[in-house]
Amino acid sequence: MNLNDCHNFADFRKLAKRRLPSPIFHYIDGAADDEITYSRNTSAFNDVDLVPNVLRGVESVDLSTTIFGKKLDLPFYCSPTALQRLFHYDGERAVGKAAQKFNTMFGVSALATVSVEEISSLIDTPKMFQFYFHKDRGLNDSCLERAKAAKFDVMALTVDTITGGNRERDLRTGFTSPPKLTLASLFSFATKPMWGINYLTKGKFELPHIQDHLDEGTNTNTSIGNYFSTMLDQSMNWNDAEKLCSQWGGHFALKGVMSVEDAKRAVDIGCTGIMVSNHGGRQLDGSRSPFDQIAEIVDAVGDKLDVICEGGFQRGTHMLKALSLGAKACAGGRLYLYALAAAGQAGVERALNQYKNELERDMKLMGCTKISDLSRKNLRFR
Amino acid sequence: MNINDCLNFDDFRQLAKKKLPSPIFHYIDGGSDDEETLRRNTESFNDCDLIPKVLANVGKPDLSTEIFGKKISMPIFLSPAAMQRLYHPDGDKASARAAEKFDTFYSMSTMANTSIEEISNISSGPKLFQLYIHKDQSITDDLVDRCKRANFDGLCLTVDTIVAGNRERDHRTGFTTPPKFNFKSLMSFAAKPKWVFDYLTNKKFELSNVKNKTDKGTNIAKSVIEYINEQYDPGMEWKDAEYVIKRWSKPFAIKGIMSVEDAKRAVDIGCTAIMVSNHGGRQLNGSRSPFDQIKLISDTVGHKIDVILDGGIRRGTHVLKALAAGAKACSFGKAFLFSLSAGGQKGVEKLLQNMHNEIERNMILMGCKNLKDLDYSRLIFRR
Repeated sequence: MNLNDCHNFADFRKLAKRRLPSPIFHYIDGAADDEITYSRNTSAFNDVDLVPNVLRGVESVDLSTTIFGKKLDLPFYCSPTALQRLFHYDGERAVGKAAQKFNTMFGVSALATVSVEEISSLIDTPKMFQFYFHKDRGLNDSCLERAKAAKFDVMALTVDTITGGNRERDLRTGFTSPPKLTLASLFSFATKPMWGINYLTKGKFELPHIQDHLDEGTNTNTSIGNYFSTMLDQSMNWNDAEKLCSQWGGHFALKGVMSVEDAKRAVDIGCTGIMVSNHGGRQLDGSRSPFDQIAEIVDAVGDKLDVICEGGFQRGTHMLKALSLGAKACAGGRLYLYALAAAGQAGVERALNQYKNELERDMKLMGCTKISDLSRKNLRFR
Repeated sequence: MNINDCLNFDDFRQLAKKKLPSPIFHYIDGGSDDEETLRRNTESFNDCDLIPKVLANVGKPDLSTEIFGKKISMPIFLSPAAMQRLYHPDGDKASARAAEKFDTFYSMSTMANTSIEEISNISSGPKLFQLYIHKDQSITDDLVDRCKRANFDGLCLTVDTIVAGNRERDHRTGFTTPPKFNFKSLMSFAAKPKWVFDYLTNKKFELSNVKNKTDKGTNIAKSVIEYINEQYDPGMEWKDAEYVIKRWSKPFAIKGIMSVEDAKRAVDIGCTAIMVSNHGGRQLNGSRSPFDQIKLISDTVGHKIDVILDGGIRRGTHVLKALAAGAKACSFGKAFLFSLSAGGQKGVEKLLQNMHNEIERNMILMGCKNLKDLDYSRLIFRR
């Protein structure tokens, strides 16, 4: 199996599984507790059917959308995800360049393995910086200032990782960052020698945004859950978010809003967008899926800020359904991470291209030529 | 296992699987993307139950109905399906003869391997022609005029293939038409020598209705997908449908309508029927199933035009449920294509006989003397 055999999400996942040491694959693939929310995030799309309109003359389709004041060629983008160089040695460089090729947004995590400065010198398409609120205020200020200096367009504050989710697969595989070679993990790393060679020879593994402020995550091996639980400030409240919003002074979003009440509050503190997200099912298992919740939130605040649906997308039709309910754009992590692990930049490009082709085809079959043609009239719930 | 052992859809499917090279079997069997719509088309019938009326003294029920101005002996007919020559050397001829025997519609695809004239010569049964609007208007005009001369009874315009569906099974098997013998597919063809022998010793594979107008799909090994993307006009609009209706001036249906809005519009432009269909789950995955949508549409336009349900039919009871929800008749593709692959004309006849028996038996069990006795009161939905 190689990249040319990848025709869909499941194919990329399969190829990633072959290329990655199993603790790393399961870090991407796993979620919290019994992973019920994780599977619901995708199965939710099957509770509603598309009702197409015919004979609309649909020769060309415009997939562009505008979020955070930036026009994107596609109504979906790459969510910020941590530790990308663990998945492929090019990491964020690969994803960033692929996103630039399709002129869509690329999110860089505070736990990225390539710096905001380098990303900014590599790509000039819209960029989002994802921010964790650390106990160490100096670290917070430094992240903010660096992202600002690097001319990032959007700041997204993640609010659903106040403590680490219970990711049982990581407990079983012994996943840590950087990878720790224990007896338990040794075998799985030994079976993927190419990954090991690349990891050891393609530049040191670093967390450039945080490493000067702590030794967690660099010299010592830590689990992500442990990082969230020990480094992030659990007392974070709406005042802190409001202060960050004004300190940033540009487009600002909360990532991980699920309730209508919180969505309204995000408007009040000056956010220009929210990501309706349960962190890909990796935090609170049993949490509602973004798609199940999106209509309510759009109805409440959709005219005041950009509502983005994040999580569960594996197909163009999934995106079509979320956009029909009023989401301004769709986002996802696994959406491109398996492809990154499978083949680096070429993999991500192939994945993005597939979603684009699917969306274009599906729009035509729906009788729509632009995103604003999509509405709830296209949908019927079962 | 042979044709006489085929009691139901699954049996025909199994037998077809034994006889066909795998890329061809999967071309029939597959749907688009994750195939949820393909599955839902049949599963949706299980969301409601039939309520019989007993002691109704029904005798032998009358299964006849009328569509496209023709009386047919039972409320099901063969959907148009492309390239039937791939499934059996007799192809469309086998289907047309079987349908004539049961006095119901045979439908011919624009992409048939037998010509309009050939079929007209061998069958005097009810005939429907399925039209695609081509970018080259002279192809479309030519097809309409020839159907008129050949005395086809109805014409249906397919509108849900504006672009080809994402059929991943075809990507994987390397399905093309005509079949391309590359290394990838060679094994699967070699495993079915009887099929290969029949294919090579019978009439050359061609798209008989369009061969003089285009070389696509005839000499060059092109996949259907490429043909659709190159030849069909994605700019097709309602006025194009109106144009064809005027040129044709006989019973006319649009195939692939799913929304109420479009159904009303079909009435406005002069259609005499619509086929509620998602192309057997082969185009837009995630699309609503015809049965889920049929009541809404027939409530709105059923008193003005014939509403036909296309897709998901496997059993006589499915037909009964569709009719009770407001369909005038049902059509099916996969079911008869498997029977054609399994046994040519005999196979299709066996299938139609099975369906006839099931519909008749179930009408008796339901206490219905004729199809009009089936109405919405005979269904209870579980949720």
